[in-house]
Amino acid sequence: MNWTLALPEIVLSVSGLAILVFGVLQRRDPTQVCSLLTLAAFVLTGVLVLLAPDGIGYNSVFVGDDFARYMKILSLAGAALSLILSMDYNRREGIGRFEFPVLLLFSTVGTMVMASSENLMTLYIGLELQSLAIYILCAFDRDRLGSAEAGLKYFVLGSLASGLLLYGVSLVFGFAGTMEYRGLQAALSASAEIPTGLVIGIVFIIVGLAFKVSAVPFHMWTPDVYQGAPPPVTSFMAGAPKIAAFALLLRVMAGPFGTASHQWQLLIELISMASMLFGALAAIPQTSIKRLMAYSSIGHMGYALMGLAAATPAGMRGTLIYLAVYLFMNAGTFAVIVAMRRRGRPVERIADLAGLGRTDPGLALAMAIFMFSMIGVPPLSGFFGKLLVFSAALQAGLPVLVVVGIVSSVIGAYYYLRVVKVMYFDVATAAFDRPAASVSLVSAGMGLVTGLFILLLGPVSSAAQAAAAVLFR
Amino acid sequence: MITQIVFWFFAVVLIGSAVMVVSARNPVHSVLFLILAFFNAAGLFLIAGAEFLAMILVIAYVGAVAVLFLFVVMMLDVNFSQLREGLQRYFPVGAAVGLVLFVELALSASAWRIAPNVRDLPHARVPGASSNTEALGELIYTHYVFLFQACGLVLLVAMIGAIVLTLRDRPSAKRQDVAVQHARVPADTLQMMTLGLGESTTGNGGFRRPIGKSAEKPVSRPALVIENSPDREG
Amino acid sequence: MHVVLADYFPVLVFVVIAFGIAGAMLGGSLLAGQQKPYAEKLSAYECGFDAFDDARRRFDVRFYLVSILFIIFDLEVAFLFPWAVALGRIGLFGFLSMLAFLGVLTVGFIYEWRKGALDWE
Repeated sequence: MNWTLALPEIVLSVSGLAILVFGVLQRRDPTQVCSLLTLAAFVLTGVLVLLAPDGIGYNSVFVGDDFARYMKILSLAGAALSLILSMDYNRREGIGRFEFPVLLLFSTVGTMVMASSENLMTLYIGLELQSLAIYILCAFDRDRLGSAEAGLKYFVLGSLASGLLLYGVSLVFGFAGTMEYRGLQAALSASAEIPTGLVIGIVFIIVGLAFKVSAVPFHMWTPDVYQGAPPPVTSFMAGAPKIAAFALLLRVMAGPFGTASHQWQLLIELISMASMLFGALAAIPQTSIKRLMAYSSIGHMGYALMGLAAATPAGMRGTLIYLAVYLFMNAGTFAVIVAMRRRGRPVERIADLAGLGRTDPGLALAMAIFMFSMIGVPPLSGFFGKLLVFSAALQAGLPVLVVVGIVSSVIGAYYYLRVVKVMYFDVATAAFDRPAASVSLVSAGMGLVTGLFILLLGPVSSAAQAAAAVLFR
Repeated sequence: MITQIVFWFFAVVLIGSAVMVVSARNPVHSVLFLILAFFNAAGLFLIAGAEFLAMILVIAYVGAVAVLFLFVVMMLDVNFSQLREGLQRYFPVGAAVGLVLFVELALSASAWRIAPNVRDLPHARVPGASSNTEALGELIYTHYVFLFQACGLVLLVAMIGAIVLTLRDRPSAKRQDVAVQHARVPADTLQMMTLGLGESTTGNGGFRRPIGKSAEKPVSRPALVIENSPDREG
Repeated sequence: MHVVLADYFPVLVFVVIAFGIAGAMLGGSLLAGQQKPYAEKLSAYECGFDAFDDARRRFDVRFYLVSILFIIFDLEVAFLFPWAVALGRIGLFGFLSMLAFLGVLTVGFIYEWRKGALDWE
C-alpha cells in the first residue's frame, strides 16, 4: 500500500487534531493563533499536494492524479481565503472562537477526499465530512436568528440530498455489483444495454450532487443560507465545497458513467439551462447583496455545468477553468461584503454601497472589477471562463445551450451593472468603517487576479488541460 | 416457508408502523411507532443475513437515536396540532409525489438486470469468516482503513459541532475546578486566633475574612475567625 | 437462511413469554378488576396537590448535548464490536488502525472535557 498517496490529507487532519488540542488547552483566547496555525497547515498541505505521487491506493478507494491535484489546490486556496476573511469578521462580531478554523480545516479535508474519490463510498464519506462541518459553520453565529436558521435549513435539506445520493449509490451497487469507479466502468462497458435501475441510480447521484452545487431545481436553500450564514462562511460555501462537488460530478460522470453519457447528458443540459436563466432572472429584484450573490452563484454553476454537458475533454477543461475563475471572483466579492460595516455593524443592502466610488475608491474599483468579470467583460477572468465553456458546448453540438447562456449573461449584466451604478453614481451616505488590512489584502489580491487573469491563463489552462485529460484516459 | 412467513410478518408490521409514525396524532406515539419500525427493520436485516446491521439498528437507533427523539418531542415546546394543519392541504401533492416514486421503484424492480461480470467484481470477499460481524471486522479495519479513519473524523466533527452550537459559559454556574481545590491551603480560608476570657467575636469586629483576602486590616488582638469564604465544594 | 432463523429461536420464545406474561397481567386486571374511574383518580399524582402546570416545557439544551455526545460514543462502540470479533485475524495492522481511530476520538474527548461539556453545574 502506498501510504504517501494521501499524505496531504493525513497531514492536514493530524494538524487539525493538534490545533484542536492546542486550542483547548490554552488559558487565554487562542483564536488568532489557531487561525494562523490553520493557515500554515493549508500552505503546507498545498505544497504536499503538489508533491504527492500519482496512483490508486488504499485498496482502490483513493486516487491521486492531476485532476485531484487541481481541485485540491483550488479548494485549499478557497478555504485559506475564507479563513483570512473570517479572522477579522469573527473578531469584530464577537464570535471568534478557535473551533472556527478547526471546522474549516476538517471541511477542507472533506473536499480533498471528495476530489480524490475512486469509490462511491469515498465520495459519500468525503461529502459528509465536508457538509457536516459546514452545517456547523453556518450556525456558528448561534445567537443571531438568521445564522441558526441558515444552519438548520442547510442541514435539513443537505441531509435529504445525502439520503438521495446514498439511495442512488445503493441502486448502482445493486445493479453493477461494485462501487469502484474502474469496476463500474468495466461493468458498464461490458453490458450492451444499461439497466433501468442503474440509470435511476445515476439520476439520484446527479440529484444529490446538483443539490450541493445549488443548481436549479435544487437551489431552494441557497438564498436563505447565503444570507443567514456569516459572510466568511458563505464565501467558503460558494467556493471549496462547490468545487469538490463539481470534482465528483466530473469524475463520476466522465469516468464510470462515461459510457452512459447519452443517458445523463440531456439532464445536465436541462439543469444547466435552468440554472443560468433562473440565476439571471431571480437576482433582478434582490436588494440584499448576499442574496444577489446567492442567485449569481446559481447562475454561475449553470455556466460551469455547460462544460460537463458537452462531455468532451474541451468541455471539462472549460468547466475546470470556470471554477478557478469563479473561486477567485467570489472570494474577492465576499471580501468586499465583509468590509461593508458601518459603526461597527455589518450592512448588506445594495443601497448601502452608494457612493463607495468616492468614499473608498480602492474597494469600489475591486468590486467593479468583480462585477464586470461576472458579466464576462474582456479581458477580465470571467470572460475567459465563459468563452471556453461556450466554445466547448458549440463544438459538442449544443447551440441551444450557448444561446441560453448568452441571453442569461445579458440579463445578468443588468444587476451586476446596477451594483456598479450604485457605487459610482449614487449619492454617498456614510463611509464604511476602515476595513482590516487582511480584508483589503484579499479584495485587492483577488482584484489583481481577476483583472490580470490573462497573464495566468497559460499555466491555469495547461493545468486544467492535464486535469481534464485524466478523466478521459 | 417459515422464512417467508416471518418476512411478511416483519414487512407488514414495519410498513404499518411507518404509516403510524407520520399519521399518529400524539408525537410521543409517533416515536414509539418509530421504535417498533426499527425493531421490525432489524428483523428484516436478520432474515437477509445481516446480523450485525440488525444488532446495530437496535443498539444505535433504538438505544440512542429514538431516545433522543423522545427527548426532543417530549421537551420541546412545539404545538404539534398546528404543524399538522397543512396535512389536508398538501395531501394531494404528497400523494402524487409518493405515487411517482412508487412507479419509479416498480419500474426499476421490473427491469432488474445485473451486469454480466458482477460475480468477478467484488474482490472484497471474506472466505473464512463464519459470521457477518467477523466478515465486516476483517474488512473495515484493514481493507477500508482509509474510510474507517475518515469516519473517525466525521464523528469528531459531530462532537465539536454539538459543543460549539450548544455549550455556553455561564458565569453564574458553580463549577468544580479540581486544580483550584487542590491548590487551596488553610491560610486562604482559616485564621487561628485566641480569644480572651469573656470576649466575644462580635466585640472583636465580628466575622472577618482571612488575611490577604480582604482589604480590612487584621485586628491587633487575637480573635476567633470563622471560615466564611464561599463554599466551593457545594 | 433457515440456519440464521433457527439461531434466533430462543429469542422468539423469550419474546413470546415476555408478551404473554405482560398481556396476562394487563388483561387479567382489566377483566377481573373493578373499574370505577373518576376525574381525581385519573389525574396525574403529584404528592397530593394539584399539578402546577403543563409538563411540556422547554428544557435546557444541555440535556440534548449529553445525549448527542452519548450517541457519538455509542457509534464508536458500534465500531468496536466487529473489531473485537475479528481481532485474531486482522493482526497488528487492524489493531493499530483501531488505535488511530480511538486516538482521533480521544482528541475529541479531551476537547469535551476541557470545554466543560461533561460538567454539570
